[in-house]
Parts: sequence; C-alpha cells; structure tokens
Amino acid sequence: MKTHARAVVVGGGAVGVGVLYHLAKAGWSDVVLVERNELTDGSTWHAAGLLPLFNVSYSVGQLHQYSVELYKTLEAETGQDVGFHGCGNLRLARTTERMDEYKYYLSTADTIGVECHILGVDEIRSLWPLCNTEGLIGAIFHPTDGHIAPADLTMALAKGARARGAEIYRQTLVTGFGRTPTGEWIVHTDKGDITCEHVISATGNYARQTLAMVGVDIPVIPVEHQFLVTEEIPELVARKAAGLPEMPILRESDASYYMREERQGLILGPYEKGAPAWAVDGVPEGFGRELLPPDYDRLEPHIEAAINRVPVFGQVGVKDCVNGPIAYTPDGSPMIGPAYGLRNFWISEGHSFGITAAGGAGHYLANWIIDGDPGIDLLAVDSRRFGPYATRTYTTRKNEEAYEHVFILHYPHEERPACRPAKTSPAYARQDTMGAVWGQKYGWERANWFAPEGVQRRDVYSFRRGNWFPHVRAECRAMRERVGVIDMTPFTKWLVSGPGAEAYLDRLVANRLPKTIGRINLCHVLTNRGTVRSEFTIVRDAPDRFYVVHAGAAEMYDGHLLHRELPPDGSVTLENVTGRYGVLLVSGPHARDLLSRLTSADLSGAAFPWLSCRHIDIGLAPQVRAMRVSYVGELGWELHHPIEYQTHLFDALFEAGRDYGIAPVGMRAMDSLRLEKTYRALGTDLNRENSALEAGLHRFVHLNKGAFIGREALVRQQEAGLPYKLVTLKVSVNGADPLGNEPVLSNGAVIGRATSGGYAHWLDHGIALAYVRPDYAEIGTELEMAVLRERRPALVLTESPHDPDNLRLRA
Amino acid sequence: MKVLVPVKRVLDAYVPARVKPDHSGVVLDNVKMSMNPFCEIAVEAAIRMKEAGQAEEVILVSAGPQKSQDVIRNGLAMGADRGVLIQTDEELQPLAVAKLLKAVVEQEGPTLVLMGKQAIDGDNNQTGQILAALLGWAQATFCSKLELAGDTLTATREIDGGLEHVELALPAIATVDLRLNEPRYATLPNIMKAKKKPLAVKAPTDLGVDIAPRFKTLKVTPPPERSAGVKVASVAELVEKLRTEAKAL
Repeated sequence: MKTHARAVVVGGGAVGVGVLYHLAKAGWSDVVLVERNELTDGSTWHAAGLLPLFNVSYSVGQLHQYSVELYKTLEAETGQDVGFHGCGNLRLARTTERMDEYKYYLSTADTIGVECHILGVDEIRSLWPLCNTEGLIGAIFHPTDGHIAPADLTMALAKGARARGAEIYRQTLVTGFGRTPTGEWIVHTDKGDITCEHVISATGNYARQTLAMVGVDIPVIPVEHQFLVTEEIPELVARKAAGLPEMPILRESDASYYMREERQGLILGPYEKGAPAWAVDGVPEGFGRELLPPDYDRLEPHIEAAINRVPVFGQVGVKDCVNGPIAYTPDGSPMIGPAYGLRNFWISEGHSFGITAAGGAGHYLANWIIDGDPGIDLLAVDSRRFGPYATRTYTTRKNEEAYEHVFILHYPHEERPACRPAKTSPAYARQDTMGAVWGQKYGWERANWFAPEGVQRRDVYSFRRGNWFPHVRAECRAMRERVGVIDMTPFTKWLVSGPGAEAYLDRLVANRLPKTIGRINLCHVLTNRGTVRSEFTIVRDAPDRFYVVHAGAAEMYDGHLLHRELPPDGSVTLENVTGRYGVLLVSGPHARDLLSRLTSADLSGAAFPWLSCRHIDIGLAPQVRAMRVSYVGELGWELHHPIEYQTHLFDALFEAGRDYGIAPVGMRAMDSLRLEKTYRALGTDLNRENSALEAGLHRFVHLNKGAFIGREALVRQQEAGLPYKLVTLKVSVNGADPLGNEPVLSNGAVIGRATSGGYAHWLDHGIALAYVRPDYAEIGTELEMAVLRERRPALVLTESPHDPDNLRLRA
Repeated sequence: MKVLVPVKRVLDAYVPARVKPDHSGVVLDNVKMSMNPFCEIAVEAAIRMKEAGQAEEVILVSAGPQKSQDVIRNGLAMGADRGVLIQTDEELQPLAVAKLLKAVVEQEGPTLVLMGKQAIDGDNNQTGQILAALLGWAQATFCSKLELAGDTLTATREIDGGLEHVELALPAIATVDLRLNEPRYATLPNIMKAKKKPLAVKAPTDLGVDIAPRFKTLKVTPPPERSAGVKVASVAELVEKLRTEAKAL
C-alpha cells in the first residue's frame, strides 16, 4: 500500500469510484481509494440501477445528464460491459396538475439540453402495450436514459481509474484522520497510514460516522427502500422472442412507483409512506452486503396500483423483495463539496440516486478539487447548505419525509411539514396572530404571506397561481403605497474586527469597502472564474471593524469561506452574531414618518442618506443599527436591533403605523418587489456559472481596485466579450407566471434562460430575470419565453423598471 | 386428509451470517429472514397434493418469535390454508420443537406431516426423526419423490450411493430434500390475500410442553478467514507449489 498520495477517496461504492475515476482522468494518477469491505458493498450492490434524467433542479439535472452520457462510453473505453439499457423512460400523468409539473420540468430540460417529449395516451399504449391506460391523460418520455448494472458500472469506473494509475485497496478500514504539521491529511487505516493532500469522503451509509472523525456533523441518515422482483412473465418472454425492444422504464408518479423489465420479469420500486430511517446511530458493525427484512404492508397501496396499471405484474410470482438502506438528506439532494471548516477535505455523500449521480458528481467534484471550482453551479447540492439545526432528530424525520416525497407533486413554492416550527424569531407569535402562512428555510420559520381575516391560512399550490396571489398583491401595494414591515431576522450577521480586518475583507470582495464610518456597500465574493459566489452587505463601524450581513441560508456556505480566508496571524476576529440581532425592514413612502414617531434621531435625507447606517434609539429599544437600505426598493430602513427588544419594536411599529396603514409583508411579496427593481437573488440570478459582469454587477466590481478573487478572469472576459447578459423581461403571461429556468427564445431558438421570475404586482405584468446572448439584450428587444410550454411574448425592459433612478430610495 | 407442514424462519440464504461480538450467536436483528428453503419444498409438495385432490387442507405450523408469522404468511401466500404459530422468544432445540409439533399433531389430526430434512441455520437434521419417534409414526427422510395412493405413501430417499424406495403406511412423516420440487413464488394478489387467512397463535404452555433447552451454547465463532492467494509466474512454479506447499501432487 502507498504511504503517500495526492488524494485518498474513502468508500468504494459507485460514487467514490466515480470520483477516483475523474481525478485520474484529469491527470492525477497518484490517487488511491480505500474500501472497508468490497467495492459496491453498502448500497451500490442492491441499487435498482435506474438512470432518470428527470430532475427539476438545474444543478442535479446537469449531474445526471453528464452521468448518462459518460456511461454510454464506458464499455468502449474500459472493455467492461456496464449493462447499459437505453430503453428510455416514461412518466405517466393522471392529472393536469401532474402534466403541469412535467411541463415545468421541461423548461429545465430544454435549458440544459435533455431530450424529452410529451406523449398522448395512444403513444403510451404503443410504447407500453402491457399498460392499462385507463385514467391517464398523458406522459413525458425521455428516449435517452434507461438503466445500468450498478456493480458492473462500478467495476468499469474502477478499471478506468486503475488504467490511469489509481490504486484501490479493498478490505481496508479507515480508523481516523490526522494532519501533518504542514497541513497534509493523514488517513489512518488498519493497514497503515496514507499521507495525502486531499481526502474525499464517499461513504454512503457511514457518512455521519466518517465525518464525525473530523468533527463535522452532516445530516445524512439512510432510509429503507424496497423493490420487488418477479419471475419471468410469459408476455415479456414472447416479446423478447419476437425481437421486440425492452419497454421503457415506467413511472407512475401519481402512485409513487417505478417499474422496469428485468430478465423478462418486472421490478417494482415504490416510494411508500412510512419507510423508516435506518441505522440512525451508526451502521451496525460488519454490515456490508446484508439486506433488511421486507415489509409488504407498507407497499400494498403501490402494489395494487401497479397491478391495476400493469395487470401481468400480478399474475406471476415474486422472486425477491430487496430491502436495502439508501443514504438520504433532509431535502433529498446529495451533499457535494468541501466539508465545513476543513481545508482539502471533500465530501460526496447523501446520494439517494447514487448510480445516476456517480458520474456527474465525480466529474464536477474532481473539477472542484483540481481547479478550485466545479465549473457549474452546484448550490442545490452544496455540502454546506445545512446548519447546526439539522440535528439527529431533525435529520431522521426530514429524511423519511424526503423519501416519501420522491414522487409527490413538487410545486415550485412547496413547503414541507416535518420539523416545524424549528427556529423562530421573537416576533413569530405576533405574525402568527396576524395570519402568517409560514415557510421554512434553513430551519427558520418565515412568513411567506399573510392571510387576511376569513381567508384560509394555508398554501393551495399550483404551477400556475397559488391561492396567495391576490393577498401577495395587496402586500405589494401596501409596501409601494404606504408602509410595510418584513421580518428579516434570519439574516446571517458577523462582526469582523481587528487590525487586519480591512485588508482581509478587501481581498475577498470585488467592490470597494465602505470608506467612511456608517457607510454601507454591497459586495460580492467571486470565484476564480469571475462568477458570483457570495453576496455581503458590509457596513463600516470603525476603521478596524465591519458589520457583515448576508443570506440566512448561507451561514455555513459563507462561514466556510470567511473562516478559510482568515489570515493566520490572528489580526482578524470573526464573530457570528446572527442570534444577537433581530432584523425588521420598515419600508414604503411613509417609513420616515412612521419611524419619526418612535425616535428623536434625524431621519432626513440630508442627515441620514441612502446607504448609510446609524445607531439610534427606537421606542424603548436602544442602539438599534438602522441601515438605510431596502430590498423592496422603497424608502426604508433595516432595523438591526438587540433580539430581546424585537417584540417591543414590532408592537411599537404597528401601533405607531396604524395611521399610515402599516401592513406585515411576507417573502413572496418581497420577491415580487425585488424583481421590479432587478435586484438579483443569490443562488439563482447570481450564481457560479455567470460572471459578475454578465450579471450586470458593474457598479459593484472595481477591476482597478487592486487584487481580488476572480479579477483576472473578469479582465479576460471583458476583453473577449460577454457570452451572456442579465436582462429584465416583461412577460405577457396567461395565468401562469415564469418561475425561473424557463428557456428564452428568439425566432424559436433558445438564446437564454430565466433565473427567476414571478408576477410584478405593482407594474402589473409577468416578470423574469434572464441571461440572454448579448445581441438580444438591448432594451426593447422582443423575445419569447416558454412558460409551461406555452410561448409568451417577452420584452427586454430597462434595468429596475420600477423607479429606475432610485428616486424613491433616495427620498 | 390434512397435511401438516412445519416451517422455520431462518436467516435468508443469501445474507452472510455475522457472529455477534460477544460470540453468543449470529446477528438476527434487523436482517432479512426467510422461510428455510427445505420447508418451502415441503410446503410446495403439500400444496401440489391439495391441487391434485389428494389433500383437503394444508396447515402450516411454526415455532419461534412473533416474526415467524411472516414465514407462515409466505406459505399461506403460496397456497396453504391456515397457520399455527407457537410463539416464544426462548431458544428452541430440536427435541422441544418435536414435542411442540407432537402436541399440534394431536390437536389437528393430520394424516401426513411433510417437513424439511433440516434447517439451514442449525443444520441439525433431527426434528423430523424425533417427531416420528414421539408419535410412533412411520418416517421417510431425505425424500426426492413422494406419491400418495390410498393409505400408502411411496417415497424415494436420497441415500449415500443411490436412491432408496420405501412404502409407508399412513399416518406418516416425510422429510424432504432439495430435488423433490421447485417451490413456486407467491403472486402479489396471493400475498395480499394471505393476510386474511386464519393464523392461530399459541404459547408453549397452552400445549403443556416443556421447551427448556437440553444443550448450552458455549461459544459461536466465525470460520477462519481465508488467507490471500499468491500469483505464480509460470506453470513450473505452479507445479512446484502444488507439490511442495499444497502437497496435492
């Protein structure tokens, strides 16, 4: 066994071997993989081998697409048959809502280039003659995916890796990790130590145990998944004898199962309610190739539905019921990227669709390790998207929920019920009394909208318009015409101080730091490719002290960066003060009048200009950090206050605001209002695929300020010309609003994609932010956007169509 | 005629057995368990007799923990009529099982008991023989062929070096071997219907049987691990090693 390597992959399932293969393929021949038992043990060996391209997430969709393309070439490359069956896959729909979901997905498919068609009932019958089409209204068909033999796939990837110099050590147990004084990792195994630069953890069911060895807690707990295998079915034997092709994989989403051919029999895989988490406190010693006891009772409704849909399925015997554990995460997506707080320790864990993801996850993670950037936006699968709130109990319940939600209708505004409420701000109870309809993000309860008296307090989802539409509209009007309050307490907040604070922050961000005390600047951290990684609102408190605010959900994602970039000399102190301060945004034309009733501070435009910050008393609340910024684009202040005063402050605002028609405002209204101002949202409009210049962040990027991350790439791009430009589109909608991911077309050809969208309630039209090719970015250009497959006119508007000169903000 | 088929719940044949860290036994918690394959063959034989009109009722009986219901349900899904579970979490040894089965035979009054020649967990190969002795019935063990005609059961036994044909006067006990038949798989509709078939649960005390173990397990250890092989460079080296190390030549 080697004692030194460039990288050590822990875990020999499809995912681990997939990373090893791609590291080796990229030229890192000095890489090794250690596996406690045998390759494929754990979950790979009992996987059903499906390769579904269907995924609404832009990130995950691209991982899967890469995998399928790679797998088709592996046999030619390695000589190892991988059992690739390109039979395609057919997703059935019983309801128009389900068809809407498919149409919504087709937007993503179109923008990433996945072939997919909508089929009618007759076409279903011709592709799947054994299917009873009663009750169906249609389907979507992916002709290019299919299924694969997971063990053979793993062996082919292993063969390809070995051929490029990688080594694989089986029956080798990792017992711990250490570090050398120079910062290299030492992987301790029962066969000896390996010193290496990078470690990659791909340990499936063992994820929490592996990461616990380096002090990192990740919310990966397996859930039991069962599938049934029948004996031969005469009709399928006859089809084969007649030389007919294998029928596509059949998915009846409305009954939550998949079905495919296997040796002239059928496999049925239901995603049932009540499947339990497994090995919550760790995988039993010695577990490798065991299966769990089957439980037919849980499967019964799915079995009945399957027999109804495919009668021959019930006419033959069941050879086997395979019940094995599959890794899950609270949102059902894998975790790919750096382990929080550690340098050169990477994870690719929590893969519930590991066979489909192994190729793409391996490819993009290898890019990330080697180039410092995955090359596509992976925020949806980022390894740092969960925080400390994702405890063992939370994870267990959410992972079971994620499992049973695999086939439910995934509405774009979906909120899931498990583990609610978890984190609440003090004003939660007040907002609840006011009719808040809650959502959860990063464990925080946030009011999505407020139901007026007599209106049902729950979301009725739709791919077109939800029941909240008129109420969100009223909230938008309150904000634009009167004054509104948004609870933004979940913001992540840091105090950055010390003699090195200025240099430290300055090197990170593309904008200049605020020069004078009390100034506020919006600053972005870019990747070395010049794309946008993070967004911070930075306030200068003192020459050597800054207050840094960013998205609540980015606490770990950005915290990882802030800690990693700290200078080693101790000249900077970083303190997370998220829990210390609440945040209420008070905004609207009456914001100043209202606040003047509660404070003696001078709030005039001259004394307290836009983008400045003062510490003032409001009501009984002392030392409120009032920041004159507003994400909704109106006169307003974000009041960052000591958390213990929140209820008081909230009450005082609503008491004093009664005369002004004050209204509580939720997240959905905020999103509509910010779209009207072309305020880009991090994670969608600002992402790791489009550069800061493409995003139109010119005002916040100073190429001549000196060195910052991503500067060189931007300079190069500026010379070469921008491939895309962010534009604001007025979309003439017809009962369904854009949501992001829709293709933008000109003369029928895709020339861009939307990154977010909705209805602009104040301007009263559909709206979207989209990246389009620069020759289509001129104001007034007439384009089209496919919204739920319907082509709608889309007109390029001026940036910030509402109040383009910021007169209201500066009032 | 009633046929009684005892069935046992064992670690699934395709699941590797893991010895408990304290060497007290094999890990059976939360791993896949199935009907002993030889019991499946006995169930299949009984169902075929019923399908041929030779038996009126096929009754399954199992002794063991509550979960043993699963293997009874499995047999019911294959086509048996009803089940009896003698529920106990105590360790059961062949003598105790045979006594329990004797009590069930006396209650149910079958003419034929069909059972596996042995279970794949303990490999005891005792229960059928002891039961025959306790009942004083004729027995045919290791059966690869069974034929019923009137009051006579003709059986083909697999014995060392050949086959033995025997005739038994009913009532009788036959223990079945691998080549008797290939058991069917239950269809899903039958699996679901099996849940509604009668299954009586009894305790050993209901049958007045003392099930106390007569043997004590001292220690269970896994077989020694195979050491890794070596690669030989040439035929000559292979022959040399076969001669000197393996002493096979």
